[in-house]
Amino acid sequence: MTNAAMAGSLAAMPGEAPRPEPAPSPRGLARRAVDDTLASWRTKTGLAWIAIVAFCAVFAPFLANSYPLAVKMNGNWSSPAIKHLTPVDWTLLVVAFCGVITLGLSRLTFFRKLLVLLLILAVELPLAFLFVHPPIVDVFQEYRDLQRQGRLQAVIGCPIPYSPTDRLRDHPDARLTPPSREHLFGVDMNGSDVLSAMIHACRIAMAIGFISTGIAVVIGVVIGGLMGYFVGWVDLFGMRFIEVFEAIPTLILLITFVAFFGHNLYLMMAIIGLTGWTGNARFIRAEYLRLRNQDFVQATIAAGLPLRSILFRHMLPNGVSPVIVSATFGIASAILFESTLSFLGLGLIDEPSWGQMLNQAAGVSGTFTWWMAVFPGLGIFLTVFAYNLIGEALRDALDPRLHGIE
Amino acid sequence: MGNRFGVKDFFVMTLLVVLVISVWLSMKQRDREWEVMQSIHNQGDSQSHELAQIRRLLAQGIQVTGMSPTTQGSEASQAGDPFKYVKQAEAMPDYATGDWFIDNLQTKVGVLTPLVSTDLYATVVQGRVLESLAFLDPNTLEYLPQLATSWQMANNGMEYTFQLRRGVTFSDGEPFGADDVVFTFNWTMNPKVQAPRDRAYLEKIKSVEKKGDYEVVFHFKEPYFQSFDLASGMNILARHFYSKYTPEQYNQNPGLLIGTGPYRLSDPSSWRPGQRIELFRNDQYWGETPSFDRIIYEQVETETASLTMFRNGESDTFSAQPEQYRMLLKDQDLIKHTQHFELSSPLSGYIYVGWNQSRNGKPTLFSDKRVRRAMTMLTDRQRICDEVMLGYATPADGPFDPLGKPQRAPDLKPWPFDPSAAKALLKEAGFEDRNGSGVLQSPDGHPFEFKLTYPAKGETYERVVLFIKDSFAQAGIKVDLDPTDFPIMIDRINKRDFEAISLGWSAEPEDDLYQAFDSSQIKDEGDDFISYANPELDKLIEEARSTVDEPKRMKLWQQCSRIIHEDQPYTFLYRNKSLSFMAGRIKDVSTSKLGLNAIQRYNMPIPWFVPKASQKWGK
Amino acid sequence: MTTYIIRRLLLFIPVLLGMTIVVFATVALSPGGTGASLLAREGGMDPRARKAIEAYYNKRYGLKDPLPVQYFRWLNEVSPIGFHQNEDGSRGRFGIKMPDLGESLVRHRPIIDLVKECLPITVLLNVITIPIIYVIAIVAGIRAAQKRGKFADIGMGSVLLGLWSFPQMLAGVLAIGFLASRQYAKLFPTNGLHDLRSGSMPFLPAFTPVGFNPGWMLDMGWHLVLPVLCLCYVSFAFLAKLERGAMLENIALDYVRTARAKGLPERTVLLRHVFRNSLIPLITVAVNILPALLGGAVVIESIFGIDGMGKLTVDAALMHDRELVLSDALVLGFVGIVAYLVADIAYVLADPRVSYD
Repeated sequence: MTNAAMAGSLAAMPGEAPRPEPAPSPRGLARRAVDDTLASWRTKTGLAWIAIVAFCAVFAPFLANSYPLAVKMNGNWSSPAIKHLTPVDWTLLVVAFCGVITLGLSRLTFFRKLLVLLLILAVELPLAFLFVHPPIVDVFQEYRDLQRQGRLQAVIGCPIPYSPTDRLRDHPDARLTPPSREHLFGVDMNGSDVLSAMIHACRIAMAIGFISTGIAVVIGVVIGGLMGYFVGWVDLFGMRFIEVFEAIPTLILLITFVAFFGHNLYLMMAIIGLTGWTGNARFIRAEYLRLRNQDFVQATIAAGLPLRSILFRHMLPNGVSPVIVSATFGIASAILFESTLSFLGLGLIDEPSWGQMLNQAAGVSGTFTWWMAVFPGLGIFLTVFAYNLIGEALRDALDPRLHGIE
Repeated sequence: MGNRFGVKDFFVMTLLVVLVISVWLSMKQRDREWEVMQSIHNQGDSQSHELAQIRRLLAQGIQVTGMSPTTQGSEASQAGDPFKYVKQAEAMPDYATGDWFIDNLQTKVGVLTPLVSTDLYATVVQGRVLESLAFLDPNTLEYLPQLATSWQMANNGMEYTFQLRRGVTFSDGEPFGADDVVFTFNWTMNPKVQAPRDRAYLEKIKSVEKKGDYEVVFHFKEPYFQSFDLASGMNILARHFYSKYTPEQYNQNPGLLIGTGPYRLSDPSSWRPGQRIELFRNDQYWGETPSFDRIIYEQVETETASLTMFRNGESDTFSAQPEQYRMLLKDQDLIKHTQHFELSSPLSGYIYVGWNQSRNGKPTLFSDKRVRRAMTMLTDRQRICDEVMLGYATPADGPFDPLGKPQRAPDLKPWPFDPSAAKALLKEAGFEDRNGSGVLQSPDGHPFEFKLTYPAKGETYERVVLFIKDSFAQAGIKVDLDPTDFPIMIDRINKRDFEAISLGWSAEPEDDLYQAFDSSQIKDEGDDFISYANPELDKLIEEARSTVDEPKRMKLWQQCSRIIHEDQPYTFLYRNKSLSFMAGRIKDVSTSKLGLNAIQRYNMPIPWFVPKASQKWGK
Repeated sequence: MTTYIIRRLLLFIPVLLGMTIVVFATVALSPGGTGASLLAREGGMDPRARKAIEAYYNKRYGLKDPLPVQYFRWLNEVSPIGFHQNEDGSRGRFGIKMPDLGESLVRHRPIIDLVKECLPITVLLNVITIPIIYVIAIVAGIRAAQKRGKFADIGMGSVLLGLWSFPQMLAGVLAIGFLASRQYAKLFPTNGLHDLRSGSMPFLPAFTPVGFNPGWMLDMGWHLVLPVLCLCYVSFAFLAKLERGAMLENIALDYVRTARAKGLPERTVLLRHVFRNSLIPLITVAVNILPALLGGAVVIESIFGIDGMGKLTVDAALMHDRELVLSDALVLGFVGIVAYLVADIAYVLADPRVSYD
């Protein structure tokens, strides 16, 4: 029963003197944690930057594109930018749009909102891949050429009229130039505009962060949960399993896998997730060891609930706080990890990523192209910093001991 | 309980640790001083040994002049004077001996022992210490005598007889003779010795026969156009030194290097990887005195470090990438003190894109000659040379370098960069854009799309491949990039598991097409990995390889070049120019047909010197 | 306690074995298998030559044998108990023997030599870094705890968090680009650990007629400044926050209240009582840091061109040098597992409240 209901029922007793208002009972842990976190200035700063990154990630094809937003040719308007949107672009736009709307719906709980979003995603993805067919080859200078020839009656370009993989074959002198009016962040070794590459790289940064950490959390929770619940042999073997994974030199594994399957984004995410789950497993195991003897757990066992329900519906919400904090820091470290890998040359090739741009700055024959180091570096730094700030705020909010002091 | 571990204890501990470390470090220092003294001691020893020898010779009444033995060693023999360039240098007014030459190999050398070492850079060092029977004059491309004074061919190239030079000793004083040549061959062919690569090359030699103390005969299994090359290019090992080791010991020891050459290691058996490679002038050398007192090989891998070293004058050479080179040319300070060279050498080979014609037993879209020709016409090779290589490369149109021997038919006209003609050819082959999507389709509707494989770490390769991708995109062909690490690439090449591949071949002054283009090399993981087969070409190649007469052979090669031009199994992209800097104080550095006038790869006398006034080291 | 240690030591072996199996499987299953690196070197030759080389290497290193056989052969070489190898390669008697790490397939040198060269360099870097981290972290942590809640604390906290978030490779690249290149300020050397002429330098600094000769020790020190700087800033940020957290945790406890009630000055309370207890998590973390640092700060070593264990490992992995990869994994894994065990024991020793029985 809610507080309001209780207070109401107390007050509704007829004929009695009105009792003093009971003290409002404490908010639930989750509610309080979220409120405290959001109140902290640290979170606000962090979320502000992450919002910028997310915005860039979603709207990248409209922010930086060699294909104009709209052109008028022979009296007809058309939108090359929209024509060249890929299924992934569409998916991101749809999810972002629906996400904002569902966030506004306060009737549903958080989990229900998540479920709705996932449903929309599940419907949209196959549709996108079936019906969206952008042209296979990209001839970026097409519209610049048309404009030069004077065949376009009107052009509305994107704010940054360069795609990240547009290597400016019609302006070969622009290569490796420092920041200027046309190229605000300069041009890289292959001829691509750096600002455009940075905007498009936001996608990879966000994706790597969330998906790798997601994988790590899921695996860690499942294994840690099983270990913590069934102590004994399961625990013994599980601990050795964890130790084996911790002992494996991650880099060697990663390099070999990349060599085997090629430079694949999804593979990298999977590997980073697969090597990072041990911390989460340890936390969950410790929490479950503590929880399994508590009354409410005994009650669920006695009630005969299925295992997955006990583990994930009852015990998990109580033990999840260290994992949430660790997950937030995990996102930051996944992003750092990916940039290190790209820096060592293991990253993607034709898709821009911050780490890869940093790699170019270091490697370029003898000179130090500062714009290739400073801007992507700042991107990585600010994003990691933002996640770390949020993680810190979360940790302070969730830590019961600190509430007495501060 | 309670840990009474106070701050004081911490300080005491740290102090103790620091003390221990300083004692240990000073012991190391003492050690180094000891080693330096030892080497000085050794040098003194060897010098007194030499003095004793000279005294002995004096006692015997033999004239010992202070100059190099001009009567014995450096007289012009059969085909020319091996020291002709050195003598030209000696005739210059400011010629002087002395100073050190500090070269920078861009890698860490693991093994210096001949035959066992597998990397190119070890051969550079070996080229200064070891000698062979004859070597190639870099300007005339004729053979000059080195350890042999004359030679004769017999039996249509199946037999070569060499007369060996007398009075030559190894750097430890022991004399050189036919026994050493025979030993070298037998040692290389000993299966227990870790020399599989050299064995494979020398496999064509049936035997090496000693015919007297200063004459050997090489017997070959069949006539082969490079037979003389093989026989005369073998680096001669010292029998008296190397026969002391069992094959296992020989394989394990990374520093066994001694020879008849102008330079030597201070100790022929004690070098270990990680140590500096320092060559000293061989005072026993039979030929003209080499000008440098010492040659030092630095092993600095990182490019920035190499450049810094060169700038600071700590090394005398630097080879640059095009980007770097252009930038360095703008540095006035640098240009004043150094010399720079842009060399086109037939030895540098070419870069190409190979089109795989058969995959998993089925012909691919590149099996049609017209498609391959269209690919070539869609690639603007001149622009690649100008933009990607910044002008420091020349477009290649075939496997033969016009600067080398005349293997290329002189009347061949390279295919031009002509996208419309290419499109027409493709249309003829059935590829055109039928639905206006901007992409060409095959006759059965598949878009024209392929994966281009290339080495992952090469910065230049990547830019070339990206250029090709963008050019082809304009023509309606989609190119996917497939950078692969080198070990994996070898595996995929062997399995023929690729669609198109961009690589390079290095070259010799005279190239053999057999390896890459003969159809017998398609199976068994041979090097014709694009499965190119042309029976006419096969016949010509076989004939050329067994023709010992050079002019006849050249005609055959030229016919081959015409066939390759028609078939375009590769799209030949460009030939690199090698860009290098050299310290300004080194004189008589010039270019030859094969590169700088002291080719690193061959063991030839170095005609460079430093005038007395600008000498820097070793004073 | 002893039973706990013995039990852990015994369990240590299957963990080590498990790890080596995973690493071996990864290298062996990748395309090119275990022979890839060898063949890569010989690329571009006469195919007959290549065949001969392949056959030679296959025979010598047993590259064509089935994978379990290769694995067990390697295991036999590396373990201190196993079959001896006779001169001609056949199996000898079973017994205790010297573990042999094998020979690097790419560099043709015994691995033990490579490790002997690279390990001291990495150890040197760490031996210098660790005390610096600790001193700075402890001082910063104490300061932050003293001034908790005030601006200095929050400011320092944010700065430390910022440092922790700053990518190491960016720091390295910027350091070289701005502080060690000719374009901006050439304060530091770019590369490596020694100057060219260090071979002939005296050990200690000396004033010679030609000028000031820094001496080998100072020269190396100068080369080490930038790498150590880049290595340590991440760790000390982390440790400082840990120290602050530990201090704050202890300050909330009763004995501090008692100490204050007794009238002791705040300074004594903090430095003499709270400080010691707050070191406990630092000690346990110290031992956990060791495997990470030993793994060699790969990025820093590559940027600065220092030949340490990290660079060795990366080169081995990239070239698919089977022997080196396995041996490196073994060495690093061994150190890691030992470190965790020592951490647990140190934890018990340091904190009398904890016991494993």
